[in-house]
Amino acid sequence: MLAGQSGSETADHSALERMSRGDHEAVAELYDRHGRIVYSLALRIVQDTADAEDVVQEVFSQAWRHASRYQAPRGSVVAWLMIMTRSRAIDRIRGRRSRPEPMDADAGPSDMPDTAAPVDEQLALTGQATQLRAAVEELSLLQRVAIELAFYEGLTHIEIAERLELPLGTVKTRIRQGLLKLKDRLAGAAR
Amino acid sequence: MNTMDHDALREAAGLYVLGALPADEGRQFEAHVSDCAECQREVRSLGAVVNLLPFGLPQIEPPLALRGRVLAATRADTGVSGAPPTLIRRRDFSRTVAWLGAAALLVFAAGLGAYTVSLRQRLATVEGQLREAVDRLNRGELLLASAEREADRAQVRLAVLMAPDMKQVTLAGQPPAPRAAGRAFFSASTGLVFAAANLPTLPPGRTYQLWFLTRSAPVSAGLINPDPGGRVTAAFDVPPAATGAAGLAVSIEPDGGVPAPTGAIYLAGTSR
Repeated sequence: MLAGQSGSETADHSALERMSRGDHEAVAELYDRHGRIVYSLALRIVQDTADAEDVVQEVFSQAWRHASRYQAPRGSVVAWLMIMTRSRAIDRIRGRRSRPEPMDADAGPSDMPDTAAPVDEQLALTGQATQLRAAVEELSLLQRVAIELAFYEGLTHIEIAERLELPLGTVKTRIRQGLLKLKDRLAGAAR
Repeated sequence: MNTMDHDALREAAGLYVLGALPADEGRQFEAHVSDCAECQREVRSLGAVVNLLPFGLPQIEPPLALRGRVLAATRADTGVSGAPPTLIRRRDFSRTVAWLGAAALLVFAAGLGAYTVSLRQRLATVEGQLREAVDRLNRGELLLASAEREADRAQVRLAVLMAPDMKQVTLAGQPPAPRAAGRAFFSASTGLVFAAANLPTLPPGRTYQLWFLTRSAPVSAGLINPDPGGRVTAAFDVPPAATGAAGLAVSIEPDGGVPAPTGAIYLAGTSR
């Protein structure tokens, strides 16, 4: 069920470690493995191929620069790349609109304590995209739209409420319900 | 803290991992979460869900050339992480992490100081794009052309090229840029498509601006931003004052553009 997943994660950690020692081939390896998803996420957010390419380049440059700070195998390298991608992509589209900025989803460090990775995360690396898409399909339209506005357009809950012309409380509830439903569906699939 | 307050905070976890909390609420949430194991668990589990969302997207193959570009960029970088991390108190940040996939958190145990290094480097890297974004924010309506209207761009170009009143303008490089060249397709009813090559890279604080040459004063079409290779293509609206334009010119101007040309002309040409 999780075949191939642990292989990729191990290889990613190894690549990152080699990048931290200045090995350029390791960047190529990481790009060959994850360049497509980084590009796909960037493109979904910025909706422009030139901008998406810029974001991809920025992400791998940042990964290259930060690899030296990488600690021993912990966490998901792909998730790290995704965070950076979303952060840069959202910044780029915020530059296109003059709005006060919400929390910046940047790939900075946090002062959260070290904790074990949940099992559900590993589902992503098996390539079971269909399962994820099925789970998203099960959300109500409002749940899905609200989550996607937040995640792919970087809107705050206030902005989402304005955009959808709904009360703030409704938006917050739908987002929370949607995430819990996804969590439930995906945790079920991982078992 | 009473249960009701805490429930409200815990419910913010989902918004937090989506990056949907405004800055003040986010900071408030983070202050709480650093001390609350229950909310940490909530952030981790919901963060893991959010982490999965991109995997459900259509997977689009990036252009082949991008691989070389990414590798070249990292080769150009020494790979040194920069200044040693310095301790920065969280409340000194105007931005902090919002989207926290549980596992991804663990990669960043280097300390808060690493974030400031990454921010400096990121600013240095995207200086051009930031400048362009600031340009757009600062420009008044008169100067803000439709050049960057992403979705319409392809349609505008096609419409211009097929317009019955389409005229071609060839622009020649002027003394500051003798090797530069430009071509434009101009339809007074539909729009302007412009392309140029060999435009010199400009110093910081300067931009290229495209002008319609009319019988009276030049009318701005908009700003153009060549890539590092000196090439650019762009599409623009034709403002009413410019419908009778007989030529085009590109001048160097301060960032953000100006209402009337002030700088040296780099490209110029008239329509046949």
